[in-house]
Amino acid sequence: MGYSSILDWVKFNDPMLNEFYAYKVYNLPYDIGYKLWELIGGALAWLINLIFPGNGFSVTLISSDLLSNFFAIVFMVVVIFAVAFLINLTMIWEERKVLGRMMDRRATRIGPLGYLQNLADGLKTFLKENITPDKADKKGYMWALTLVIGTSVLLACMIPLSHRWFIVDYNTGLLLIFGLFAIAPFMILVAGWAQNNKYSLLGGMRAAAQMISYEVPILLVFASVALMAGSFNINDIVNMQAETMWFIIPQILGFLVFIVAAIAEAERIPFDLPEAEAELVEGWQTEYSGMKWGLIMLGDYFRGYVACALIVILFLGGWYLPFFDVGMQQDWLPEIVFLLKVFLVFFVFIWVRAAHCRVRTDQILNIGWKVLLPLSVINLVIAAVITYGGWL
Amino acid sequence: MPLKYLDKYPKKAWRSLWVLKPMWVTLKKMFKTTLHRPVTIMYPYEKEWIPDNYRGRPGLKFEKCIGCGICERMCPTKCIDIVDADDNGKTVQRPQVFLGRCMMCGYCAEYCPVNAMIVTPDYELAAYTREELVYGPRKLAWPNATEMMEVHLEERLLSDVKRGETGKNVAFYSVDRPELHAKLCISCQRCAKVCPTDAVEMYEAGVNDKGKPIKLPRFDNDRCVCCEKCMDVCPKDAITIKEVL
Amino acid sequence: MADMWITMGPQHPFSHGLWTLKIRADGEIVKEAEPVVGYLHRGWEKECENRTYPLIIPMADRLCYSASMTWAHVYCKVVEEALEVELSDRAKYLRVIADEICRIQSHLMWLAAMGTDLGNLTIFLWALREREFFLDLNVKLCGQRLTTNYPRIGGVRNDMPYLFERDCMRVVDRFEKVMWEIVAMMDGSSIFLSRMRGVGVINRKDAANYGLTGPVMRGSGVDFDIRRDDPYCNYDQLDWEVAVSKDGDAYARYAVRIEEMFQSCEIIRQAMVKLKGLPRTDPVRFKVPRKVPAGTHFARLEDPRGESLMYLISDGTDKPYRLKVRSPIFVNVSASKHFVEGVRIADIPAIMGTLDMCLGETDR
Repeated sequence: MGYSSILDWVKFNDPMLNEFYAYKVYNLPYDIGYKLWELIGGALAWLINLIFPGNGFSVTLISSDLLSNFFAIVFMVVVIFAVAFLINLTMIWEERKVLGRMMDRRATRIGPLGYLQNLADGLKTFLKENITPDKADKKGYMWALTLVIGTSVLLACMIPLSHRWFIVDYNTGLLLIFGLFAIAPFMILVAGWAQNNKYSLLGGMRAAAQMISYEVPILLVFASVALMAGSFNINDIVNMQAETMWFIIPQILGFLVFIVAAIAEAERIPFDLPEAEAELVEGWQTEYSGMKWGLIMLGDYFRGYVACALIVILFLGGWYLPFFDVGMQQDWLPEIVFLLKVFLVFFVFIWVRAAHCRVRTDQILNIGWKVLLPLSVINLVIAAVITYGGWL
Repeated sequence: MPLKYLDKYPKKAWRSLWVLKPMWVTLKKMFKTTLHRPVTIMYPYEKEWIPDNYRGRPGLKFEKCIGCGICERMCPTKCIDIVDADDNGKTVQRPQVFLGRCMMCGYCAEYCPVNAMIVTPDYELAAYTREELVYGPRKLAWPNATEMMEVHLEERLLSDVKRGETGKNVAFYSVDRPELHAKLCISCQRCAKVCPTDAVEMYEAGVNDKGKPIKLPRFDNDRCVCCEKCMDVCPKDAITIKEVL
Repeated sequence: MADMWITMGPQHPFSHGLWTLKIRADGEIVKEAEPVVGYLHRGWEKECENRTYPLIIPMADRLCYSASMTWAHVYCKVVEEALEVELSDRAKYLRVIADEICRIQSHLMWLAAMGTDLGNLTIFLWALREREFFLDLNVKLCGQRLTTNYPRIGGVRNDMPYLFERDCMRVVDRFEKVMWEIVAMMDGSSIFLSRMRGVGVINRKDAANYGLTGPVMRGSGVDFDIRRDDPYCNYDQLDWEVAVSKDGDAYARYAVRIEEMFQSCEIIRQAMVKLKGLPRTDPVRFKVPRKVPAGTHFARLEDPRGESLMYLISDGTDKPYRLKVRSPIFVNVSASKHFVEGVRIADIPAIMGTLDMCLGETDR
């Protein structure tokens, strides 16, 4: 080994040659993390070598495959979270901007195009006093909050942005995402109970009722998509759509059902009963103050992002555009295509929010059980007929 | 005159199924406001145009004021006090307004007989302490006072209308005058001292039983502004206001 | 789930002001309701006994922030009845125009609040945007946006300013065009209709027995409007219709208010034409005596929210002996027990929103 230059230590290897590499296919965030560690670890090894020349420590440990792999995974997680967070900020910015234009008013003002307004609001929320109600059940109060936010963030990180940007390439990826998606409403019920506040309790009850009635159609739509794709793997579903056609065309009913149910699951305005501010002051969030509330809002938008991303993955062809060769598109930036689609779907969410009022409690259950459930069953039948009839 | 909305509003159930119309309207609005500017006025940086007759805080033309105290009497919230002010070494009486209590009704400007009180377009009145909100006679001044900021009290006499006269408007300070009940007067001369316009002149109306001269006030109708100060100060209630209707 | 008492108010997003609605809820269903008012009691009537007659006008503005013109008007009207002063035609039409501007902006304020109650902020902002034009008219006419202080005993404060007629016509024409856009936001949305249809129903008989007035009463089919049935200020010389709907639910009250806005535009337009026919030298304000002869008098007129009435006992001095205010909202809110019991909690904002609460005049 030469000891003359830092370049001896920073080699930018191909991560797939690492013997501890965990994925079968190329993973972009892992690659970024790997290169980052090569930069940082290489510089570290070089410094140690300058101080203790010829120690062998740098070669055997710092730039070893094992440690490189370990730190690459750590950096990869950070990179994926940072990107998810940035996407989230962009979505909040999009919502505020579009909503402002639709309402004929200026929206955000700080920073270029008002982009930094979210950070300013976050800072302001951070400076608020952090109050815990005296008679609240402290454990339930904090744990419910933690799980609501935690599962939302975890979900947002688990959404793959492309065939090369993922955490796990799981055969039951869709089921896992759905299972995590369904935890939060339970925790909302717990939070509503733990706060010792009647508004929160009512909000929690509403969240539970809403969840039960809207997860059934979502599951049925999931099932019909999985039936058509023949897999619960997200990558397979997207590839299937690239090979045949976007599932929105055969499953337009399922798409409509899913978009309504996703708005309800993300608790956005036509269906935001758990936090209906007109009758239940802030719903189940009433007693959460300061940054706790800020994180809840952030978590809400993470869930909105997940809902939009699921729509894009299940119906709108994921990260591929139609009429272009798949192999060619893999060399472009499929992440950008995916995000543009997500923002477009989120625009529809915002649009619905700007145009419509809040639905009443019994009406939301009526829509869930009497409209969406039959429609999703019909959709399942159509999917089954198409799949087993061999028309796909 | 036909009903414009009630005949049109949707009574049929099938029209209720329509959900896309508001979405279409909002989308149109979004394109419109993206191409043009939203109606928002970015307040601290740009301000709405307000006309000259806008009733902000009261203002005072120090030179014109005669210190009659009508504004003090007509203030609904009693936020005006008449205080001593220094006018080139001379002590004069001028109003002072406590803006923490002022409700910007504009009565002081409306009832001012010499139009010294004006309404100003100043509405940004936040202050850190209550003391800053007490606007003394000099602080009340508004340098860019225009003609429109004066509020003129224009009333028509009902008697004029009955007689068929048109086009003559009056104000109470130009027609209502104090009236003396000479029997009650004790010649104390307080009314003459207190009159802000020197409209009260004491004249000798004769001698009393002891041979001393009786002085009675005489009111100069041209100078009087009907401020009722003489009426208030009279110890024997010998002066009343005679209203012209 | 066991019953529980929920205290909605006095600081609660649905209560537009300081009042409390105590409800006993069985899950989502309201079993029992009890309105509590009085948080905003300022002793208005008592304070009036300590002020001379002209000084009460700006205080009457403060009874309700969005109906200031009509409250000052009803006060001036009762004093004029005591003094037996007949206004000039010019002052009458000016009052009509001012009242109708006030009515439109008050209804727009209601519409905006209604929008947020139902969770739609777009309606709120669009309605407030339109309201701004009418407030600008107020500024032009009398110098301030909300607390107008425009009517005077014996007339109005000032004549129309320069070019006011042109501005007024422009605003009214624009409003009638844009209002259909805002109406499309609500009538085109099945969600809005399903929220408003069939909730808070009160029939014709109950409405009359509760003493409801204004759009709430007309929404349940009682064809009564003081402007037409007990005309004042030359309302009988203008050609317009009373908005009446027979359904009696929240949607009917909404529809009546929307129709009233359109009719108010028509009234403004016709009053402007009539005003143009009068000579400019006509008086707008008569000089009235300071002391009101002893006696009892009352006057009423059509407020944006219903029938506002003032009852005056004068004792011959320049201050009223007693001034009693009959507030339409105070009566309407007493019917909230009837409205709310049996509905769902989510319906409370929709029903109470259509009552158009204003607590300044309720508690006085």
